[in-house]
Amino acid sequence: MPEEEPIVYDTQSQLPEKVVSEGSMLWNKTGSWRYIKPRYMNKVPPCNQGCPAGNDIENFIQQIGLGDPAAAWRILKEENPFPKVCGRVCYHPCESVCNRDEFDRAIAIHALERFAAEHAPPDERPAKLRPDSSKRVAIVGSGPAGLTAAYHLARMGHSVTVFEAKEKPGGLMRYGIPGYRLPQDVLEAEIDDIRSLGVKMKCKQVVGRDVAWDEMKAFSAVFLSIGVHKNRLLGFASEGARGVRSGLEFLDSVARGDVPALGEKTVIVGGGNAAIDAARCALRLGSEVSIYYHRSRKEMPAFEEEVYEAEREGVAIHFLAQPVDIITEDNRAVGFQFRKALLGEQDPSGRRTPVPIPGTEFDVSADTIITAIGETSDLAWLPPDLQTEQGRIVIDQFGLTNHPGVFAGGDTALTTHNVAYAIGSGKAAACAIDSSLNDKPIENFQDRIIVGGKGAVSVSRYLETGKAHAANDSSGQVVAFSELNLNYFEPQARRKTQKLSIAERMTGFEEVNGGLSDQHARLEADRCFHCGVCTLCDNCYVFCPDVAVTKNSQMPEGYEIVYDYCKGCGICVYECPRSAMIMEDE
Amino acid sequence: MKKVLMGNHAASWGVRLSRVKMIAAYPITPQTHIVEELSEMCADGSLDAKFLKVESEHSAMASVIAAETTGVRSFTASSSNGLALMHELLHWAAGARLPIVMVNVNRALAPGWNIWADQSDSLSQRDTGWVQLYVEDNQEVLDSVIQGYRVAEQVNLPVMICYDAFYLSHTYEPVDIPDQEQVDQWLPPFAPEYFLNPENPQAFNGLVMPDNYMEMRFNLHQAHEKAKTVVNDVGSAFGERFGRSYGAIEAVSCEDAELIVITSSSATSPARIVTQQLREKGMKIGLLKVRMFRPFPTEEIREILANAKKAVVIDRNFSWGKSGIFADEIRSVMANQSDAPVIFGYVAGLGGKSITPALIQEIVEEADRNDRPEALSIWKGMKA
Repeated sequence: MPEEEPIVYDTQSQLPEKVVSEGSMLWNKTGSWRYIKPRYMNKVPPCNQGCPAGNDIENFIQQIGLGDPAAAWRILKEENPFPKVCGRVCYHPCESVCNRDEFDRAIAIHALERFAAEHAPPDERPAKLRPDSSKRVAIVGSGPAGLTAAYHLARMGHSVTVFEAKEKPGGLMRYGIPGYRLPQDVLEAEIDDIRSLGVKMKCKQVVGRDVAWDEMKAFSAVFLSIGVHKNRLLGFASEGARGVRSGLEFLDSVARGDVPALGEKTVIVGGGNAAIDAARCALRLGSEVSIYYHRSRKEMPAFEEEVYEAEREGVAIHFLAQPVDIITEDNRAVGFQFRKALLGEQDPSGRRTPVPIPGTEFDVSADTIITAIGETSDLAWLPPDLQTEQGRIVIDQFGLTNHPGVFAGGDTALTTHNVAYAIGSGKAAACAIDSSLNDKPIENFQDRIIVGGKGAVSVSRYLETGKAHAANDSSGQVVAFSELNLNYFEPQARRKTQKLSIAERMTGFEEVNGGLSDQHARLEADRCFHCGVCTLCDNCYVFCPDVAVTKNSQMPEGYEIVYDYCKGCGICVYECPRSAMIMEDE
Repeated sequence: MKKVLMGNHAASWGVRLSRVKMIAAYPITPQTHIVEELSEMCADGSLDAKFLKVESEHSAMASVIAAETTGVRSFTASSSNGLALMHELLHWAAGARLPIVMVNVNRALAPGWNIWADQSDSLSQRDTGWVQLYVEDNQEVLDSVIQGYRVAEQVNLPVMICYDAFYLSHTYEPVDIPDQEQVDQWLPPFAPEYFLNPENPQAFNGLVMPDNYMEMRFNLHQAHEKAKTVVNDVGSAFGERFGRSYGAIEAVSCEDAELIVITSSSATSPARIVTQQLREKGMKIGLLKVRMFRPFPTEEIREILANAKKAVVIDRNFSWGKSGIFADEIRSVMANQSDAPVIFGYVAGLGGKSITPALIQEIVEEADRNDRPEALSIWKGMKA
C-alpha cells in the first residue's frame, strides 16, 4: 500500500490479527494542528555576558568537559590573548552571575580558564586570520588593553607597533601585580604569543618625550592605552618625608627585583588592590603590616578574595580611619595620625562617604608608609583638544575619542580598573579600528559583536570565525536561572584549588594559588549548565512524541524539526535542560 | 525421567522444557517456588533465559508483554493479590494477542489474610481474554505448561495454568519429566508473524478507531472459539507423543449417568474416588472434570449433560451476590436446552478447607435425595 495515504480496511477479514501498523502515518501531516512552534535558539549564558573580556566561557568549558583542553585554550585565545593571566588575576565577575550559584555554587570558571591555558599545546601559537593589510597601527602603552588591541589587530593583518615607556611590555600586569599572584614567566609566555604575530614592541620609548605625538600621524590609527601611573596624593606637606612611598612605586620596584628596604612596621593607606598587593608584598619582605582605610570593609574596592588572603597572611586591616597627617621626625616618617569616622550618605559611586568624628584622632607608629589611595593618568602631553573628563580620556562604546583615528582604552579611559575590563576595551577598539581601516562603520557590526547587555564584545563574531551555532543567539537574550530545567542536574561540589601554606608563602614570592588536576577540571566542567547553548544532549530528539525532531549534522544545531509533523506541543522546549530552544508564534 | 516434584517445581520443569527465553516475576506465596527454581536453572545454565526481577506483579506482566512483543517466548507466575495487581495488563496481553503462558497458583484473596487454596483469584480474571486451564495433579501441571505454549502460539492468546495452593503447589508427587529432545520435536520454536523488529519498523497496540475496534474484538472472540478445538487437538497430540492425553473436559462414566458431579482442579481427585465407589454400589453416577474455563467448553458440556437428570457442581470459589462460578457458567450454557438437568450448586473448600471424599459423598447424597436444590448456592463443610 502506498505510504502517503491512509489504509482502509473494507472487510473484517482484512484486519491484522494484532493491533499493529501495516503502513505509516506519514500521510497525516499533524503539523497543520500547530499554532505555536519550537525553534532552536542559542541564548547568551550569563557568564558570557558577565565577562568584561568577552570570553566564550560556556564554549571553552564544554571543550574541557569533552576532554579537549587544547581546544578550550584555542577558544579562549580567539577572544583574549591572556587566559593564563586572567585565569590567575581576574576577579571573575562571570562567577558572580553564574546560574549555578543559585543551585549549589558557581562554576570555578577562573580555575577552568587557567587549566585550559596551562594545557595549551607547547608549540602552538595563535595564527594570523587575514593576510597583511599594509595598514599601520600605533599602540601607546603595553598593558592589557594595549597588548590586547595589538594582538587582535595583528591577527586581522595590520602592522602594529607598540610604544612602551618601561623596560619591558606588560604594564601593570608586570609592574603592578606581584609575582605571588602572577609569575612573570606566565605573563612573558602570553606576550610572546603576541610578538610571534609580528607586533613590534618598542620599549623605553615615552611618547610625548622620546617619540613626538606628531610621529603618530604616520600611522593609520592610534590606540592610547597609557594606563594610570600617577599616584594620587594625600595632599600633606609631610608626604615628601623619607620612609613614605607610593603604592605603585613600591610594587614597581618589587617587580623589578629592586627590593626596597622596609622598616619593621609598615602602614598602608588605601583600600584598593594596590593597597592589598603592597601589603602582601611588604609582609613577604618581613615587615609587620597594617592597612588603614577610611570607609568600611563593604566599600573596599579591592577584590574580596585578595582581602581575605591578606588577612589570613597576617595583614591587619583597620576601617573608618581617616588620614590626618604623617608624623615625622627629622623629615623621616615615624607614624601616622588618623581620625575615626562614621559612614554617611552615599556618594555618586553608591558607596557611603566617611564622616570624621571630631576629637577621635589617634596615632600609630610606623617606619614605612605606603600610600595607595588611587592612581591617575598623565594626560599633559596629549593634544589639548583631545577630550578628557575627570582625568580620563573620553571614548565612545568602541573606544573612539573625539579625534578621528585616535582610540583609547584601559584604565586611562575606563572608570573600572582591572585586567578584564582593559582587555574588553582593547577588543572593542581593535574591532572599531579594523572596521575604520576598512571604511566600514563599526555600528554595522554592533548587533553581531555585542554579547548580552553589559558591553562585552566578541572578536570571533566580528570576524565570523566562531563556531556556527554560537552566532545563533541573535536575540541577545540572557538565560535566567528560572528558565533551566533543573530535573537534569544534581548538586555537585565545586572543585577547589590548592594554595600554598602561609608559612611557605612568607619565604618569598612563589605563586600562592595552584591549578586544577585533569580529573577535577573535568568534574568541574561537567557541573556547567551550559545555559542557553545546545550541547547535543538529545533530550529534544528523545522526548518528541511525534518523532518530529530528527538528527541532521548539516544543521547548525545538529537537529532538525520536521514541521510537517511537529504539533507544537512544546515538550522539546520544556525538556531542554538549558533553554536552548524557544516556542514562537506561527 | 521420573522425579518426585512439588507442583510448583513441576511448573518450573514445564517452563524449562518449553525453552522459555524470558522470565519476569515478583514473589508471592504459594507461587514463589516456581520462579525460585527457574532462577536457579537460569543461574546454573540449564535454562538459557533472561531472568528479570521486577518490583511488582504489574511490572512482571508488563515485562513479559514487552518480551513477547519482541518475539521472545516468556513466562511469569503469580497468585491471589499479585494476580489482581496484574489485572490491567491481563487485558493488555490478550488484546495485544500475545501468547504468554503464566501459572497462577489459586490462593484466597485478602482480607482476612489467607494463603490457601481458592479459585476466586483467577476466576476474577474471567473476562480478560485469557485461556484458563484448571489442572488436577502435578503431572498435569508440567504437561499443561508445555501444551500451554503450543495452544497459545497457535491461537495468539495468552494462557493461564491454574492449580490449587498447597494441595498441588507444595505437595510432592512422582512426575514424569519428558526428554528435552522429545519436547523440542513436539513444541516448535516461537515464530510469530508480527513482532517488534528494527528491520521492519511497525507500531504496536496503538489507537484503533470505532470503525475497526469492534471488528478486532470480534477477532479476539473468534480466537477463543478456535481455542476450544485447539486445546483438545493439542491435548490429543500430546497424548500421542507422551502417552498422556488431555482435553477441555474429562468425562468419567457419564454415558449412562443420571447424576453427574462436576469439579475442577484438585477437588476432582477425591471426587473420582467417591463417584467410583458409588457406581460400584449401583448408583448411576458420573464425573465431569472441567479443565478449561475459558473459552468455556459449552458444546461439550451440553452434550455430556444432555442425558443426565441432575448435575452437581462443586465450586471452590464464589461470585459475591450470586453463586459458585462454575455452577453459574453451567446454568447459563444449559439455559434454553430442552433436556437440561436440574443443576445443584455447592460451595466448598474456600480458603483452603479440605474437600474430603466424605464431604463430596454428603453433597452427592443430598442432591440425590432432593428433587430440587434448596438454594442457588449451598455452602458445605462449615462449622455449625
